[in-house]
Amino acid sequence: MLKEIINLTLLQHTIRTATPLILAALGGLLTQHAGILNIGMEGMILMGAFFAIVGSYFFSSSLAGVLMAVGVGILVGLLFAYFVIDLKSDEFIIGIAINILAGGLTVFLLRSIFGVKGAFSSPDIVPLPRFRLGFLEGIPLLDTIFNNHTVFVYVSWILVALVYVYLYKTPYGIWLRASGEFPEALETAGVSPRKMKYISSIACGVFCGFAGAHLSLGYLTLFTENMSAQRGFIAMAAIIFGGAHPIRTLIAAFMFGFFDALGIRLQVVGIPSQFTQMIPYLGTIVVLFVVAKSYIRKIKKNVEGES
Amino acid sequence: MKKFKNAEYLISLFLSILASLIIGAFIMLANGRNPVTGYVALINGAFGSKYNIATTFAKTVPLVLTGLATSISFRSGISNIGGEGQLYLGAFGAALIGITFVNLPGIVGIPLALAASLIAGGLYALFPAILKVRYNIDEVIVTIMLNTVAVLLTSYLVNYPFASEIGKMGGTEIIAEGYQLSRLVRLSTLNTSIFYVAVISIIMYYLLERTSIGYEIKMVGQNSNFSRYGGINVKRRMIFAMVVSGALCGIAGAFEVLGVHYRFLQHISPGYAWDGMLIALIVKNNPIGVVLMSIFFGALKTGSISMENATGIPSELISVIQSIIILFIAGESGFKTKIKSFLANRRAIKKAGEKNA
Amino acid sequence: MAEKLIELKEITKQFPGVLANDRVSLDIEKGEIHAIIGENGAGKSTLMKILYGLYQPTSGEIYFKGKPVSIKTPLDAIKLGIGMVHQHFMLVPSFTVAENIVLGVEPRKNRFMMDYRKAVSITEELSKTYGLKVDPNAKVESLSVGIQQRIEILKVLNKGADIIILDEPTAVLTPQETEELFKVIRKLVEELGKTVIIITHKLQEVLALSDRVSVMRQGRLVGTLKTKDATEQILAEMMVGREVLFEELNRIEVPREEVLTVKGIKARDNRGLMALKGVSFSLYSGEILGIAGVEGNGQSELVEVLTGLRQAEEGSVMIKGVEATNKEPMEIRNLGVSHIPEDRLATGLSKKATITENMILGYHNREPYATKGIHMNKKPIRERVSRLIKEFDVRTPSQDVTADKLSGGNMQKMVIAREFSFDSSILIVAQPTRGVDIGAIEFIHKEIIKKRNEGAAILLVSADLDEIFRLSDRIITIYEGEITGEFKRREISKKEIGLYMTGKRKGMRQGGVQDEEI
Repeated sequence: MLKEIINLTLLQHTIRTATPLILAALGGLLTQHAGILNIGMEGMILMGAFFAIVGSYFFSSSLAGVLMAVGVGILVGLLFAYFVIDLKSDEFIIGIAINILAGGLTVFLLRSIFGVKGAFSSPDIVPLPRFRLGFLEGIPLLDTIFNNHTVFVYVSWILVALVYVYLYKTPYGIWLRASGEFPEALETAGVSPRKMKYISSIACGVFCGFAGAHLSLGYLTLFTENMSAQRGFIAMAAIIFGGAHPIRTLIAAFMFGFFDALGIRLQVVGIPSQFTQMIPYLGTIVVLFVVAKSYIRKIKKNVEGES
Repeated sequence: MKKFKNAEYLISLFLSILASLIIGAFIMLANGRNPVTGYVALINGAFGSKYNIATTFAKTVPLVLTGLATSISFRSGISNIGGEGQLYLGAFGAALIGITFVNLPGIVGIPLALAASLIAGGLYALFPAILKVRYNIDEVIVTIMLNTVAVLLTSYLVNYPFASEIGKMGGTEIIAEGYQLSRLVRLSTLNTSIFYVAVISIIMYYLLERTSIGYEIKMVGQNSNFSRYGGINVKRRMIFAMVVSGALCGIAGAFEVLGVHYRFLQHISPGYAWDGMLIALIVKNNPIGVVLMSIFFGALKTGSISMENATGIPSELISVIQSIIILFIAGESGFKTKIKSFLANRRAIKKAGEKNA
Repeated sequence: MAEKLIELKEITKQFPGVLANDRVSLDIEKGEIHAIIGENGAGKSTLMKILYGLYQPTSGEIYFKGKPVSIKTPLDAIKLGIGMVHQHFMLVPSFTVAENIVLGVEPRKNRFMMDYRKAVSITEELSKTYGLKVDPNAKVESLSVGIQQRIEILKVLNKGADIIILDEPTAVLTPQETEELFKVIRKLVEELGKTVIIITHKLQEVLALSDRVSVMRQGRLVGTLKTKDATEQILAEMMVGREVLFEELNRIEVPREEVLTVKGIKARDNRGLMALKGVSFSLYSGEILGIAGVEGNGQSELVEVLTGLRQAEEGSVMIKGVEATNKEPMEIRNLGVSHIPEDRLATGLSKKATITENMILGYHNREPYATKGIHMNKKPIRERVSRLIKEFDVRTPSQDVTADKLSGGNMQKMVIAREFSFDSSILIVAQPTRGVDIGAIEFIHKEIIKKRNEGAAILLVSADLDEIFRLSDRIITIYEGEITGEFKRREISKKEIGLYMTGKRKGMRQGGVQDEEI
């Protein structure tokens, strides 16, 4: 039985399920660094998933699907940014509004465009191309685990590296982080924090669009109602778990992806999967608790060190 | 002046709703449907017959409770986003009583089930409240996380230890008859829970608007420094508000079990707590507003089904409309400042022009 | 006469309800150290923020090297060679020293990449050139304020600033650090040809450092003079203005009884630094004890400790013989202490609440306003509030408007009405007339004296010396968290007391005044 659960498919699934988490979390950690808690990621992913299907179906091209998802991501990112940054609305109210808007709008459009309820699938939807890394083909283990994934799997890994470099190795990343941590410092240094916040918010929309496209065009090529299925919140959990550091967040996303994949395997053999699925959520609370405790300890230590 | 302020807000609210409905009309047009027919069908569907009115009010029940839950927590400055989770646990708690003590008469059983849901929801909210006041851990994130934990936990419970015998359908057994709240109108799910909700609304209105506790909660939420300075125990008030909020969500869950489904189902709430949160945000946590706006939302929900049947416009249009209303309301003060500074600028330019002339 | 580098002409800045700068004209010469002094709220910082592009003037013009310029953002200022060291350092805590210094002007490689090594070498270079030692790789959050200020100065210099504005640079420094800073400033000007504008309210510093000094009061420029022509007396008089001739307040003798005893209080400020270093004094009924000091010397923390809003680390507070150290605000209020907080907007009221809601706090759970402490009775509440509004002359269209609709003076009268109506035997009053118009000042002063004459013990904290002198029966001076002197009414002049507020010490005897010539 254990063999049925822990096998190569599990690892392959881990990579697959982790990908949308990684993509969304990368977007979310950019806004996090810019000082914005974006709980609208859930809705952004959902819209991305839907519009990827629309693009792919009508233009018979997965690229068009991705572009459509990205375009909508940019729009939603702009909407979010305008309300939060310019109108100074509460970021989490806008996040909730985006989630509900996405839930309603996608189902509404699903029915008015495709005339179906619940789910839409069609042979006319062009899935994302699968990638084969030639050099892995001879190696049995790695071939099964790492090959034959959609392009976004590999893109997400590259993006992790790019986001890391962007955040810590380029001036723009430094500005972005400064805009979140101490916007006045950035402003007096002659860079507009508002601009950086806008950029992060739009980037978050784009990355969530990727995540959505991966969900709907990746392996199953279909859209179902609410298919984002809490991934926006798990991505947020991964960000918190990883302390908003791209590489640590990647690890957290893999971990959560693994538990998700494990849950599916467990269900196959009839073992309840709910507890493994809970891990990201409970883990996040534990991390928050540990961070808060160590923060309190740090302050105490500072005080003692001085006196 | 307060009245004036209220009037100003009511105008904003009216304009927001109107604008959202107009956007809705354009969406209908884009869909090739006639918005007038659509809205007429919607109103008819919500209020056109006894059955329709009953259904509207049936949909109002969970919204009022979750809306009031949001009101009290947001008023106190601690944001309970975990209503959905508290609702699930409350619903399960009520169901558990209903399938365990099957021989109890309703008069004992129903209060017992409600108490169970109240305690389950309240305790589930107490945990993030304590993390907030003791360790300053962001309650928004914690309650969001706890939502899914509760959904998963109850999903496990009803699929394994408490699974119904007729096979895995993601629900418990039917609760004993004594627990089932009686239906009021034939075919509609409207049941006696509406009376409980009426009483709870009055109590919450009284608590929030007429008591020193409600006053303290409001002051704590507006300015916690001021409250502490004035001698209010800020932490205690925050915890109180959070627990009451959780308890209300728990009761909302209980009524879904006792009045609508007669059992716990793993997807028992289609997001009632989120809807309730929207409602409370739109009416700025005013308890009377919550009740009225819940009826409005209930009517939209009910009416949209008829609208769909009559005109083919998908009923989900209304959740689009609802989220646009909240966007307008959330941006209200921002829009106002923008408009005001725009006008002030124009005035200044005009003035400068006059000076130069 | 040296070249005029910057000319500010008729600069006016109107904030909602506050005229921060009123037709200020000022010029800065190349290569000078120009001090701008004035009391809190005189408009110094606002003026400099306008020069640095953080605020836009409502009217007025800025000339740079004889040409009119428009400074819309800090970037414009930086381009003109103007740099500003803010009072609250503009450093990102989690960044390294080098990252902070090059923020906004990062050295790059391959166009897009930050050249961190270059940043470090730039930092080292700057550090060597200006003789300011810093560790480029240290994280800012781990460094002391003195070092942070160095970083801030280096950051400004790295942007190519020729004119450096320092906003209250010594407020957070120890005397040694201040001495260091002055050496650096002199070096910048004398050896490197920079121009320095320094904002301060410490007179000795002005005299020790500057070439010229401009004095501001209530948003206006009182005058500019050469430092060599100035004395502390002249500057103090310009700063405070001519003695305002308020009518003498009527005092009656009231039996004195010790009601508040403070012993050896030590407490930290919000940043965890020691703000009170062992403060002791007693307060008697029927007296007003004024605490005079330059702001930020521990007054705020003292008031907070006494009212339960801040924890003391050592020492004790006794209220009417009852131990009251580190008690909750509620418990202290119940012992008969009322409190007018220094920041009425943050602490004294809730802007979004109505006047009624604001004024009933503290009574909201007492009979007859609340039956059994729970059910609030509208009628008596409204009657009480309406009576207080009349008694304290709060000008408002109705008691149902939100507090943010009131003017500063009326907000303060509202707070005072609430606090004074408690019939407390101890009143702790901080900055009672800050930002309040003359009419309201007179009214508030009379109310305070009335309370004194009725036998209340009043602790008055104020940055306004006129107020302290007018109201106090006894004055203690506070400097860097310690009491430096204690004086009877009329025992000391305003000018002399300034010395105690800036560090001079008087031989003190506990609980009384020593008969010592000063």
